[in-house]
Amino acid sequence: MLNVIDYVPGNTLLHRLNPVTKLALAAAIIAATFLASSYAALVGLLVFTLALGLYAGVIRQLAGLLKVLVPVALIMLLLQVVFVRGGAPVAGFVTDEGLYTGGKACLRLLGVALPLILMLTVTKLNDLANACVEKLHIPYKYAFTFTTALRFVPVFSQEMNAIMEAQTARGVEFDTKNPFKKLSLMLPVCIPLLVTSVAKTDSTALAAEQRGFYLRTRASSYKRYPFRACDAAAFALCAVLIALGVLL
Amino acid sequence: MQSPSASSVTAPRPGSPDPAAPAQPIIQLDHVSFSYGRGARRAVDDISLAIAPGEFVGVIGPSGAGKSTLASLMSGAIPHHYTGELYGATLVEGRDTCDVTLTDISRIVGSVLQDIDAQMVASVVEDEMLFGLENFGVPHQHIEKFITAALDAVGIADLRQREIATLSGGQKQKVAIAAILALAPRVLVLDEPTAALDPVSSETVFEILRALNRDEGITVVVIEQKVALLSEYCDRILVLNEGRLTLDGTPREVFAHSGELRAIGVDSPRTARISNSLAAAGLAPAGQPCLTVDEAYELVAGVVGASGGVGATDKKNTSYGARPAPVSPAASGAPAPAVAFEHVGFAYPAGGAAVTDLNLAVYPGEVFALIGQNGAGKTTATKLLNGLLQPTEGHVTVAGHDTRTTPVSVIARYAATLFQNPDRQLCKNTVLEEVAFGLELQGVNVVEAHERARAVIGRFGLPEDASPFSLSRGQRQMVALASVVVLKPQVIVLDEPTSGLDYRECMTVMQTVREMADAGSAVVMVCHDMEVVSDFADRAAVMADGRIIGCGTLDEVFANAALMERAYVAPPQVAALSARLAQGVSPAFANISEVAELVETVRRLAAERAGGPAAGGAGSAAGPDAGGASAAASLAAAPAGTAGPAVEKHAQEDADA
Repeated sequence: MLNVIDYVPGNTLLHRLNPVTKLALAAAIIAATFLASSYAALVGLLVFTLALGLYAGVIRQLAGLLKVLVPVALIMLLLQVVFVRGGAPVAGFVTDEGLYTGGKACLRLLGVALPLILMLTVTKLNDLANACVEKLHIPYKYAFTFTTALRFVPVFSQEMNAIMEAQTARGVEFDTKNPFKKLSLMLPVCIPLLVTSVAKTDSTALAAEQRGFYLRTRASSYKRYPFRACDAAAFALCAVLIALGVLL
Repeated sequence: MQSPSASSVTAPRPGSPDPAAPAQPIIQLDHVSFSYGRGARRAVDDISLAIAPGEFVGVIGPSGAGKSTLASLMSGAIPHHYTGELYGATLVEGRDTCDVTLTDISRIVGSVLQDIDAQMVASVVEDEMLFGLENFGVPHQHIEKFITAALDAVGIADLRQREIATLSGGQKQKVAIAAILALAPRVLVLDEPTAALDPVSSETVFEILRALNRDEGITVVVIEQKVALLSEYCDRILVLNEGRLTLDGTPREVFAHSGELRAIGVDSPRTARISNSLAAAGLAPAGQPCLTVDEAYELVAGVVGASGGVGATDKKNTSYGARPAPVSPAASGAPAPAVAFEHVGFAYPAGGAAVTDLNLAVYPGEVFALIGQNGAGKTTATKLLNGLLQPTEGHVTVAGHDTRTTPVSVIARYAATLFQNPDRQLCKNTVLEEVAFGLELQGVNVVEAHERARAVIGRFGLPEDASPFSLSRGQRQMVALASVVVLKPQVIVLDEPTSGLDYRECMTVMQTVREMADAGSAVVMVCHDMEVVSDFADRAAVMADGRIIGCGTLDEVFANAALMERAYVAPPQVAALSARLAQGVSPAFANISEVAELVETVRRLAAERAGGPAAGGAGSAAGPDAGGASAAASLAAAPAGTAGPAVEKHAQEDADA
C-alpha cells in the first residue's frame, strides 16, 4: 500500500536539510508559483519541484499524487474555459483568454500541492515537529496535533478500507460502477469510522499524557536541528525563487 | 482534566501494615468504587487489594467485570483522564492518586493500552522510544543507553529504524512495551496485550514480561483472557465479576474453583478441568489443580498406572464413538461442496502475504477451521472466499458461483461473514435496523425483514431499540452475529469470531455457529484459540507461508506433532496431553480432544486397574454420547444467551462432582 505522504528514507542533500529549511523551500516554491505570471516560470517551477523529487528518490510518490491531481486540474481548466468569456473565440465556446487563464490555474494547483508533498516525503514527522518547536518556537502542543493528524491519515484510511470490505461482504454494493451511488453508500459508513476515530484520539491523548506530554519543553528533544552551510544556501535559493517569481 | 468528585473519604488508611508483610505495597486499593458518570452502574465496586513490589499479577473476568477500569485506576487514568464518581482511595507508592498528577503517577506506573495503534505517538520506532524519555527530562547523555537497553530487553533492536505502520501486531506490541520500559517504571499495567496476537506471539510477550519481572524486579499487572498463559506465568490471579473482586490467590488456588469460575463466565485451563473432575471423582487430591500438561500427565499416569497395553482394543470405540459429528462428509460421497478452492493462488500487488495452490472443499453441515500463525495467509483465504479478493490463479466456487465472475454483493447472498471487529460491520441506528439490513440488501421487503430480524433478536436476548454502538463489546459481536444468522446463508465465514469475547460470550457465539452448521450451513472459520477449534470444528486445514500443509479431521491434525510444529501452532492442552498419555501410559488415550472424554477414559482405566472393569466402562460410555445427543436436541430450542453442548459438557463435569 503506497501512501503519498509516507516518509521515504534516503540520504540525499534534500533529506539532510534542516526540516525548517525544507519547509521554507516548499513555501518559497509555493510563493513563487503564486507570484509568477508567465507560463515559462510556472512550468519551470513545476519542473524544478519534480527534479528535486527525482533527485530525492520520491518521484513515485509525486507521480502517484499527480495521478489524482491532474484530473482535478483538468476539471478546473474546463470550468475556467466555460466561465471566462473574454478574448477571441478559438472553437465553439472556447476563448483564447479562457484557455490562457485556465491553464495557469491548473499549473498553480499542481505547483502548490507538489512542493508540500515533496517536503513531507523527505522529512520524518517527528523531526518536522521538533525542528519547528526548536527553531520557529511553535508550542509543542500544536506541533504534536499537526503530526498526529498526519499520522492518523493512513490509520484511518486503513480503517475505512476495512469497514468498506466488511460492508461489501454484507452485500452493500460498493462494487457498483456508478460513482454517485457509491458515494451515497459511503455516507452511512462514516458513522463507524467516526466512532472509532473519536475513541482512538482519546486513547492517544491518554497515552501521550502518561508519557509526560505536559512536561515537554523546547529543550526536551534529544535530536538537535542546527542550521548548517547547506541550509544557508537553501535559504538563499528561497530568496532567489521568490525574486524570480516577482520578476517573471 | 480534573475529576469532579475525587474522593476525600479516605477510609481507614492502612498506614500500619501488618508486620508480617514483606514490604509496603506498591499499589493499594482501599474500598474503591467508580462509576462513569453520575448514577451509572458502578464499573468497580468496593475493591480492596494490595500489590506488593515484584509480583506478577493476572486479572481475569467476564466482559463488563471492570477489568479495564481497574487498570485505569492503577495507572491514574482514573481520576485524571476519565471522569465519574470515585469513592475510596488508590495509593501508588503510598500516595493517593487523586493528590498526584497523572504525569507523576506514570513515572511509577507505566501502562500499555488495549488499542495499540492509539498508544503510538510517533511514526518511527526510535521516535516512539524517545518521546517519553525526552519528556521526562532524562539527561541526553543517558538516553541512548536507555533506548538500547529497552529494545534489547524486548528483543527488537533490529526494528529501531522501522516505520511503525509496517510492523505486525506482535511487533507493535513489543514496541509499545519497550517504549514504556525505557522510562524504567516500577510497575507495568497491561490491558489485554495479546488480544490480537497468535499463540506464539502471545507466549513471546509473556516471556518478555516474565523476564522483566524476574530480572528487573518490575511489578507486572496484566489483564488477560487466555487462562493457559495466566496460569503459567502469574504468581497471583485476581478474578473480577460485576465490579467486585471474586477470587484472589495463586493460580492453583484460583483454578481449583473451576466450577465457580465457569458460573461467572471465566474459563479454566483444560488441565485444571481434568484434574478437578478427577478430584471430584475421588481419583485425585482436591484443591490441587494441574496447571500444565506435564503436571496433568504425572497425575493421570499416577492414577491409571503405567499399565501398558490395557484397553488398547477399546481404543476405536471410545475415541470415535464419542464424536457425534460426521467425521468427513467427503467420505460419504454425497453432497456437492458449498465452498471449493481449486489450485487457488493470490499475491497482493504491493507484496506481502500471498497464498499459493490452495485446494479445499467444505461441505454443508461442517465446521471447517483454518489454523496457522499470523501471516500464514488465513485471512487472505477468507477474503478469497467471500469475494473481496479474486484469485490470480485457479478458481474459488461458492455455492456454485465462481467468485471471478460474480460481484461481491451477489456472493454476499450465499456467504455471510462475521468479522473480528464488529464495529466495522455495524452502521445503523438501532439493533433492529442493523439485523434487518442484510435481508433488505438481499431484496426482502422491509416488513418481512423486520419480522425475521425480531425473531432472531429475541432469541439472542438483545435490546431491539438500542443503538448498537451503546452496547458492550460482547453484545456488539452478538448483534453482528445476529445479522449473519438472520440471513440463513449457505456459507458462513468467521474471521477470529471469539477474540475480545469472554468465555461465556465465546461459547454462545460458537454454539450458535455450530447450530447453523447442523442446520446445513457450511462454516469456514479462522481462529487462534485452539481450544475453541477443538471444541467446535470438524475438520481443519493447517496453513504456513501461504500454503496448506495439512488437512484432515481435528484428531488427525492435532495428533500430527510434526505438522503442528511446522505451522508454529501449539496443539490444545487436551490433545497434547492425550498424545503423551497414549505414548507413555495407555493407547486408549489416543486421539482424545475433549476434557470429558479424557476423564472418562481415566475413570475406566482406573476402574479396570482396581479390578472392576464393568462398572466404570458401561456408565462412562453414556457420558460423552449424552452430550452429543443434547447438542442435536438443542438445535430446535435455540437458547438465548446460554451455551449448548459445550456448556452441557461442563455441566456434566460438575455433575460428576
